[in-house]
Amino acid sequence: MRPLTLSRLLAHCAILSAVLFVVVVIALKLGAVPVSLYGLGHDLLRVLFRQTSQLSSEYQLIIFDIRLPRILLGIFVGASLSVAGASFQALLRNPLADPYVLGVSSGAAVGAIIGLVIEPHLALSPAVAALLTPIGAFLGAALTVTAVYFLGLRQGQIDSGTLLLAGIITASFLQAIIMFFMSTLTGGNYRGMAFWMMGELSTPPQRIVSLILRFGFFLSAAAIYTTASDLNLLLAGEKEAMHLGVDVRRVRLVVYIAASLLTGLAVSVSGAIGYVGLLVPHVMRLLFGSDHRILLPTAAFGGAIAVVVADTLARTVVSPSELPVGAMTAIAGAPLFLYLMRRRLA
Amino acid sequence: MSSFARSPASAAARPIGDAGDFNSDIRLSVEQVSYAYSANPTQAPLFTLEATRFQARPGEIVAIVGPNACGKSTLLKLIAGSLEPLSGRVLLNGFVTHALPHRTRGQRIAMVQQESPLLFPSRAWEFVLQGRHPYGRTLRFETEEDILIARNALAQVGAEHLTDRFMDQISGGEKQRVILARALAQQPLLLLLDEPTLHLDIGAQVDLLETLRRLASANRYTVVVVTHELNLAGQYADQVALFQKGKCLRVGPPATVFQRELLEQVFQTPLTVELGSSGRPRVNMPSAK
Amino acid sequence: MPTRKDPRKNIAAGIAIVAFLLCAGLWPSPAAQAQTPAASPAGSLVYKEFVDEAGRTVRVPQPVQRIVSLAPSLTETIYALGLQDRLVGDTDFCDYPPDAQKKTKVGGAINPSLEQIAALRPDLVLVTKSLNLIQTVNALDRLGISSYGTDPHTVKDIVSSTERLAGVLGVPEAGATLGADLERHLADLQQRLNGVPPRRVLFIVWSDPLISAGKNTFIADALRLAGATSIVDSSQDWPHMSLEEVVRLQPDFLVFAASHSDSGQNDFEILAARPGWRGLDAVRNRRFAVISDAVNRPAPRIVSAIEDLARQLHPEAFSAQPGDEKEKKIPSPAQPQAALRLLPSSSGDSALLEVCACAL
Repeated sequence: MRPLTLSRLLAHCAILSAVLFVVVVIALKLGAVPVSLYGLGHDLLRVLFRQTSQLSSEYQLIIFDIRLPRILLGIFVGASLSVAGASFQALLRNPLADPYVLGVSSGAAVGAIIGLVIEPHLALSPAVAALLTPIGAFLGAALTVTAVYFLGLRQGQIDSGTLLLAGIITASFLQAIIMFFMSTLTGGNYRGMAFWMMGELSTPPQRIVSLILRFGFFLSAAAIYTTASDLNLLLAGEKEAMHLGVDVRRVRLVVYIAASLLTGLAVSVSGAIGYVGLLVPHVMRLLFGSDHRILLPTAAFGGAIAVVVADTLARTVVSPSELPVGAMTAIAGAPLFLYLMRRRLA
Repeated sequence: MSSFARSPASAAARPIGDAGDFNSDIRLSVEQVSYAYSANPTQAPLFTLEATRFQARPGEIVAIVGPNACGKSTLLKLIAGSLEPLSGRVLLNGFVTHALPHRTRGQRIAMVQQESPLLFPSRAWEFVLQGRHPYGRTLRFETEEDILIARNALAQVGAEHLTDRFMDQISGGEKQRVILARALAQQPLLLLLDEPTLHLDIGAQVDLLETLRRLASANRYTVVVVTHELNLAGQYADQVALFQKGKCLRVGPPATVFQRELLEQVFQTPLTVELGSSGRPRVNMPSAK
Repeated sequence: MPTRKDPRKNIAAGIAIVAFLLCAGLWPSPAAQAQTPAASPAGSLVYKEFVDEAGRTVRVPQPVQRIVSLAPSLTETIYALGLQDRLVGDTDFCDYPPDAQKKTKVGGAINPSLEQIAALRPDLVLVTKSLNLIQTVNALDRLGISSYGTDPHTVKDIVSSTERLAGVLGVPEAGATLGADLERHLADLQQRLNGVPPRRVLFIVWSDPLISAGKNTFIADALRLAGATSIVDSSQDWPHMSLEEVVRLQPDFLVFAASHSDSGQNDFEILAARPGWRGLDAVRNRRFAVISDAVNRPAPRIVSAIEDLARQLHPEAFSAQPGDEKEKKIPSPAQPQAALRLLPSSSGDSALLEVCACAL
């Protein structure tokens, strides 16, 4: 009998932090332009001590203006998607659930496409025009989440089965709309949209968007974490959870909103990167167990590591060209999924 | 083994749901509780539970019997406070069960019912520890005391050897015991069981009722069991409530409830009743002609 | 009862962790403290402001020594202006002239590697609105790298765009010369085709599904200047056509763009073998023209492709040339034909792919 203790939780998180750190260092080192670890270390120290004038300006540009923001973006997107995935798997009582199953990514794509289509007709400054895609995507995601919520209500309460159905149907419907729009998009827009939908981190978002992403992540993840032990009980059965003192209605609402927010923010910024939200929680369950008090934090770290690794591969494998991150996660994710299935999903 | 139950004083600590007329001898009081359920608000109710009334003391076992779909499970849910009665109220130590906050309810009322299939199977001790959930703060980890209580609970039901086993790898009877242990870990005042003997063989059934009898008296639980097994009810219950089509026909000690004409009317089949040496009735089917 | 101290300690620890993470998350990225963007030692730099064809105001360092091109058409234009020595990087698809393939590659036009571009320390990055993404331009802006965008919609636009670009790059005389030369060719062509009724054609970008070029594209304009009218009247840039519609309209000629005559001929044969296509007179009578894939790129070379098409469609207007409709020539005033035959067969496809990928 070894129940979870705070020290074990912190120990696991510390190990994963260390792994993430190593991954980040390697990711900083690799790229279209090679960087030496020694030089990197020196530069980092100089930055910490605010002696930026001594840096070679190329290094500074490449490392700090291009690679580091991209890696940070990958960390937060990966963490958001895995926490959302684990949450939806608990909420919907379905191990095949991923953050997109309720149509969030399709809604975001529709929003992004609409933003793309109306952009030429609005006279916007370039700074605002660049925000149009993430804003459009987020609005699309928010509207979809709201619609699915109301469609998924049963007798005034969120019902897992109905919610899942509502989500899948909405997602299919939105996919049809996407196809319609895609057929009318022109040239570069089309290709760009296709890349976006596959999930890509290569275009750094505006600073305000990054900040919102980070803030949103911490807020939502914290909210979900407060329901961690409730989720453990919910998975054992709804009725049982209710009799064990879980306010099922409140927990469901909090998790639904928070997980949708996580997904919506991630997708608005980077498109629909697949397999991360589905598989990372399962891998973490295999390693650390299904207790959500440890699953949620480790999933966050695991997702961050997965996306940074995938993105690094995506931008080095066919250098100087780049693959979209979503392609890498799919290539790695599908075999991993098969493997996990054979182990009966932990 | 120190007493597993909490003293009545702590149970009455919070004034929420206080009904005022608190008779310390009676723990559970079902007062003219009725219920109606309809799928569509505009249609007539599909099912009704008519005004029901009985009381139970600490240490007592009450059995609720009757044919299928007569409202037994509904009554149990009303007692548990998860359903709100149409009229009347259920009082536990003077507090209206439905009005209790979730956490408090979890600390006072424990429900044992058929388990939903587990999505990610856990070990028995994890399962039993879930019973401590109503006692925790939001972001808590189990304390030494929780672990002790969980161990105790497993021991009380004779399932210590199952502590590290996975829930999906043990037999039905063993699972039932672990579920019961989880209920005990809640340190409840009221223990509710919904058809606990369904998938058990006769040996396991007797075992379970013996355990309930023992626990009820040792830990001063009030136990309400919904069951089909008339003879188990007759043998172990202090009171039996006989239901038919949502109506409580009779409540009282088994000997007064198990009357041949009444039983034949309710169950629509010829039956005989004989009194055993201990005064407990036994229901038999008449031998084939 | 559990001691109150334990949960409190845990919560306090939790809050500390959360606070730490929050700070880490909100830590201003070093970019915010960066000095002025990648530049030569301060003091010797002069900037000139231009307005590009997308309406953006661009600060261009003078002189422009290091150029990165993010579109094959712009790469060709740079070579045509004689500035190839200043070209330090181009895309994977920049294959003409052959020398362009030897330049450092920065990836695709849609998703170039920002790192690679930055590493080349360009003074100016050239983009075009129809191919490159606004996100790429924005990202370059944020890195402090200037980018100049072109956006030609007609052949005339291509000429004036080239001249304007020459001005931005500091070689207005070369631009004027090139522009005048192109104008002369076009004027000559107009004269020859004066009074000749235009042929109705279908320009085939892709055959399965059937994709052609819309009326607002420079391709449509090129067709017009070559003495042809496209039967496609769509305002979409790359419209899907239904075969029925094409059969109803019965174009006089089918026009293919390819890197050699052989692959163009091949395209026709494949098309002709497909069911339904025999309903077209043009297919039955084998009336098709194959021109250089230069027609797909808004670059100076398009003029030679236009001339070539004109020759094939209206041989009678070019008395000196023994025109044979089916025979393929890819004349280009600037390059000897031999060099063109050295082009690997995939390059034509890549250009085709580039255009087609846009449409797919």
